[in-house]
Order: sequence, then C-alpha cells, then structure tokens
Amino acid sequence: MHELSIAEGLIDRVSAAARGHCASRVTEVTVSVGVMRLVVPEALQIAFGAVAEGTMAEGAELQIVEQTAKAVCNRCGGAFEPDIGCYLCPSCGLADVRITAGNEIILESVVCDVPQEEAVR
Amino acid sequence: MKVRVVENVLKANDAVASANRGRMDQARVVAINLMSAPGSGKTTLLERTIPALGADVRCAVLVGDLQTTRDAERLEPLAAETIQINTGTGCHLTAPQVAEGIGRLELERLAYVFIENVGNMVCPAAFDLGEHRRVVLLSVPEGDDKVAKYPTLFQQADAILLTKTDLLGVLDFDMGRVRDDLSRINTAAPFIELSAKSGQGIDQWIEWLRGQRRL
Repeated sequence: MHELSIAEGLIDRVSAAARGHCASRVTEVTVSVGVMRLVVPEALQIAFGAVAEGTMAEGAELQIVEQTAKAVCNRCGGAFEPDIGCYLCPSCGLADVRITAGNEIILESVVCDVPQEEAVR
Repeated sequence: MKVRVVENVLKANDAVASANRGRMDQARVVAINLMSAPGSGKTTLLERTIPALGADVRCAVLVGDLQTTRDAERLEPLAAETIQINTGTGCHLTAPQVAEGIGRLELERLAYVFIENVGNMVCPAAFDLGEHRRVVLLSVPEGDDKVAKYPTLFQQADAILLTKTDLLGVLDFDMGRVRDDLSRINTAAPFIELSAKSGQGIDQWIEWLRGQRRL
C-alpha cells in the first residue's frame, strides 16, 4: 500500500500548485504514473480520497494516466519498450538495462476554482 | 481553470534521498538497501555478514519494521551501531526516516550502512532511500516462482541472493526456473546462492560487498 505515501506526496504538490494560483478549491487532478511503480489505480484513488479530506482537494476527481516503461540496453545502447516481466534487449538478448521511463510519478495538472476577484488581478 | 504543473510527486522523498547519498558519499560509507519478503533471512544474513567482514570493518544497521525492536536487539551485539526504525503502519522505509537514522550515526567511522527494509516485495522498491546498492533476497522456502511474480524488484537489484540454500534438498525448488526467469529480468546482477546457517556462499557475498567499496 505504497499508494498512501504517493497520495500524500500528491496532495502536497496539488496544494502548492493551487495556492500558487490563489485557488480556493481543486476539482480535478491528473497524475501520470509509470508502470514500474506498481501502483494499483483503485488503491491510489482510495488513498487520494482519504488524504484529500480537509484540504483544498477534498472531493476532487483523480485522473490516473499510466505511462509505459522504456529501457536502454547497457550493452548495445539500444532503446526499447520492455514488458514489465521481461527486460530482454531485442538486439543482444541480455536483460541488462537502464530504465529510462516508467518510474515517474508526475503531477501533470490541476483544475481549480479561482475566486472572481483573484482571477481579475 | 486548468493549471499545468508537471512536478515529481515524490520530490520530497527523492530530494532527501539525494541528500542522504551525498552525506554518505562524503563520509565514504557504502549504503546497502536490503529488500525481500518477510522471513527471507535479512537479519540472519546480517548476523553472518558483519563478523565475516572483519573486526576492523565497522558497520551500522538501520532496521525497518512495523513494530518491535527484536531485529535491532539481535544485531546490536554485532554492529558498531544499530537503529530500529518502526514504521507503525508503513509498509516501506522512506528517505526522511533514513535521514533521521543516519543523522544519529557516526558516519565517518563506518564502512557500511546496511538498511534492512520492511519485509515486502512491492512497496520498498518505489522509494529511493539514498542507498548506493540494492540487494534483493529470495529464500528457498518462498518458492521458485518469486522472480517472475515480482519482476520489478528483481529488475532493479544490483545483487540477488538466494538464501537458505541448506533447504534445497528438502524442498521442491527448481533452480532452473529461477535462473530462466532471471535471464529475462536481470542478467547484470550477480546471483549468489548462500546459506547463513551452513555458511555456504557467504564468501562470495562478502567478496561482492568488498567490491562495492572500491567503486
């Protein structure tokens, strides 16, 4: 259930972003999650809902976008998209790779309500 | 109003992890993060490892568990310093917990910091603690299908240890299956078969550990 720690980090970032835009409430949050992080979307949804309580993001909708993994072979330098259970380089047939994508957990955007007078400024 | 953010959600953890690594680099200490399922023998391995490294090689252990100080009590007589980190309900260690732990250590006097993560094959893998190497243990009684079931943990291992090999003759454990799975998941990490009970393979593990200090 590392989704709870991820949700806590997410709410931190969301709150900072919302405050930076003088928002009063956050209605939607989009996060991209690399497949290598083994995040269970349902678990992240539950954790997010729980952590958001009492914050500006309470009741916000969470959109989770899954990001595929990318790897670079340490032997031949070839880039490929590995399956989560197989990291064989298609050219050299060895599983000696550097993961270049698929580990990230990125807060992409937030949709928030900004009070009228703040928006005019 | 839609605001584009693009920020690392684990920024706070990752920043502390980098600081931990920097702090240990400066002190020339090698930090090893041990990860595995509960009961695969992390503490028993450390009980063997610390004396085998030699009396002049000072080691500290940060032990992560939900509850109790039992592991720390076992390691206390062997390690130069032992710190138990109780995570309460947390299923993995985080970089700030490790920062707090290493803050209490005399790093300059140490050669290795072993971080015994919470027994769990999923959650610890997602959190950088500031370690230099990740070591994953798989014990014979867990079965020969663990590598295929938890590929991401084994993929990111710098060394993979098969522990409790003294049970190989007792249990049905297909070594070929493990090697075959590893051939698709991680061919770069050394695969060391060992038994902390009989001592078989410990030399090879110690040699690997010594090698990490020269890098």
